[in-house]
Amino acid sequence: MKHSIILLVLFIGIKLNAQTNEFLVKFKPIVKQQELKLNESFNLFYILKDSTQITKLKFYISAIQLYNDKELVYTEKNSYHLIDASDTNSYFINLKAFPNKAFNNIKFNLGIDSATNAKGALGGALDPTKGMYWAWHSGYINFKLEGISNLCNTRNNGFEFHLGGFSYPNNSLQTIKLDVSNNKAIIINVDVAKFLAEVGLGKTNMIMTPSKTAVELSKQAAGIFSIN
Amino acid sequence: MKKLFVISALIIIVLSFKTIDDLFVVPKNFPKPVYDFSNNPLSADKIALGKALFYDPILSKDNTISCSSCHLSYTAFTHTDHNVSHGIDNRIGVRNAPALMNLAWNKHFMWDGAVHQLDMQALAPISNHDEMDETIENVVSKLQQSNKYKQLFYKAFNDSNATGEHTLKSIAQFMVTLISANSKYDKVIRKETGYSFTENELKGYNLFKQNCASCHTEPLFTNNEFENNGLTTDKFLNDIGRAKISQNPNDSFKFKVPSLRNVELSYPYMHDGRFPNLQMVLFHYTEDIHQNPTLSKQLKKKIVLGEADKNNLIAFLKTLTDEEFLQNPKFQPERY
Ligand code: HEC
Ligand code: HEC
Repeated sequence: MKHSIILLVLFIGIKLNAQTNEFLVKFKPIVKQQELKLNESFNLFYILKDSTQITKLKFYISAIQLYNDKELVYTEKNSYHLIDASDTNSYFINLKAFPNKAFNNIKFNLGIDSATNAKGALGGALDPTKGMYWAWHSGYINFKLEGISNLCNTRNNGFEFHLGGFSYPNNSLQTIKLDVSNNKAIIINVDVAKFLAEVGLGKTNMIMTPSKTAVELSKQAAGIFSIN
Repeated sequence: MKKLFVISALIIIVLSFKTIDDLFVVPKNFPKPVYDFSNNPLSADKIALGKALFYDPILSKDNTISCSSCHLSYTAFTHTDHNVSHGIDNRIGVRNAPALMNLAWNKHFMWDGAVHQLDMQALAPISNHDEMDETIENVVSKLQQSNKYKQLFYKAFNDSNATGEHTLKSIAQFMVTLISANSKYDKVIRKETGYSFTENELKGYNLFKQNCASCHTEPLFTNNEFENNGLTTDKFLNDIGRAKISQNPNDSFKFKVPSLRNVELSYPYMHDGRFPNLQMVLFHYTEDIHQNPTLSKQLKKKIVLGEADKNNLIAFLKTLTDEEFLQNPKFQPERY
């Protein structure tokens, strides 16, 4: 009797294991095709011979879903992740209880949606001690990029992009959809240099509050995500 | 059938008490609260932790200023006698500290609604340079090192390690317990025996309903909206109010309508504390409304009040003073 129960448990265990797995998604910040290194200078525009470096990159990824064409295959539960370039472990997201089904595109949000913003204090990746919450115009910062570049005519040549805002008309949440072909793991490049090159650092280099500009820049930030 | 009867009887009993939570009873003459208790269910230990934090200068950078430095219980949690609030190193802020009460019914926080949810409110004073000038990261690490707080967090959350989430949730729990609903006005409205308005108060109440209640709406004495009540702009502070947050020019110089409960004690008045007494407030509403494009329409027509009217109106406003609230020992600091 005892043995058969153990066998049954084992059997169910194997069965479950066969049906669901973990699946890895990696977000990989890059600069000029190389993995981003914080506090290291690079050249944004070859002809300008500028010196640019990134000192901080943090952003929220939420509501991860996988689709096969239009059919929803997988929705991650409690899907909130803070990707932080100062901790490369945070680049890896293990999707739990992943089904054995085909899929060909991934969908996720860059940022935190307004329903979550309305919930009050939250923990884990959303804990306000993570440095991604605005105290004086309350709401999550979706995307934070800071650095130094001699293209910026600012104090210490600094630039700071804090993009966020969850209410009309300055809702900056972005939904990103990417086609994926391989079924083993997904690597998503986040081309930070592309963002800086498109922004025009000479003019736009300090964004700290929800605004029209923040919405525009959030759209540009969404455009730097691509499949390896 | 019998079962159904028992269940519906139970539901009726529960509804008639309007108990949101055992620790939060909605006063009979109040609407349903706005605060979502399901995300932060109350417990006596969490409220106690929130109260300890509220009274503890550990929340400020140099450990000198607590929430209660600016929000004193005996004056409905305002900073009486200071027109704009004072913080660490004697730095002076730009706005007047409002009374803290009935916060579970607020839709917006701060004079311009900069904060949209009560839990997150405490982050603002903690990180404001002119107030406590501290970071939540640092506050949490100070709390994690304190034996007193290890115990209090353990009791409240079954986890002795403080987090930002638990710190903010417990402060919010103490905040929502600050209910003021036992003024003379409330007792008269609830028809409690032995309470009635004097003739002057009743006249004042009628004047109030005619001239003030569209914004200072009963029973909370605020409509929870942003309005421009015709103040001239202080050239030095140049505070544009709600427009700073909404970035909508139509919101320029609009401020959150404050509740008038305990108004007798919450002087000085207005977002910048410009009026030291209620006489001057009434002078403003009757003689000194500043016409500008966003002025609320109710105030475009002159309000006419004679001297006797003004005295009656003030007599009515004083019926909003809630001694039980001001003296409530539950709101006083615990001695650990
Ligand atoms: C230096 C003085 C000061 C300190 C310290 C302070 N406050 Fe305040 N408080 C203010 C001022 C001023 C405002 C209004 C700010 C505004 O409208 O911009 C305010 C607003 C508030 C509000 C919003 C009320 C409403 O109806 O909108 C709450 C709640 C509050 N404070 C709670 C706290 C808590 C909790 C703490 C401690 C963590 C605290 N305060 C510390 C001065 C202070
Ligand atoms: C159009 C809406 C409106 C009407 C009508 C109105 N008020 Fe106000 N009241 C406000 C607003 C908005 C404020 C806050 C303004 C500020 O600080 O910039 C305020 C502030 C006050 C304050 C200061 C409260 C505090 O704690 O600082 C008092 C007292 C007051 N009103 C009394 C009255 C009285 C009495 C009447 C009727 C004669 C009245 N109000 C009519 C909108 C209104």
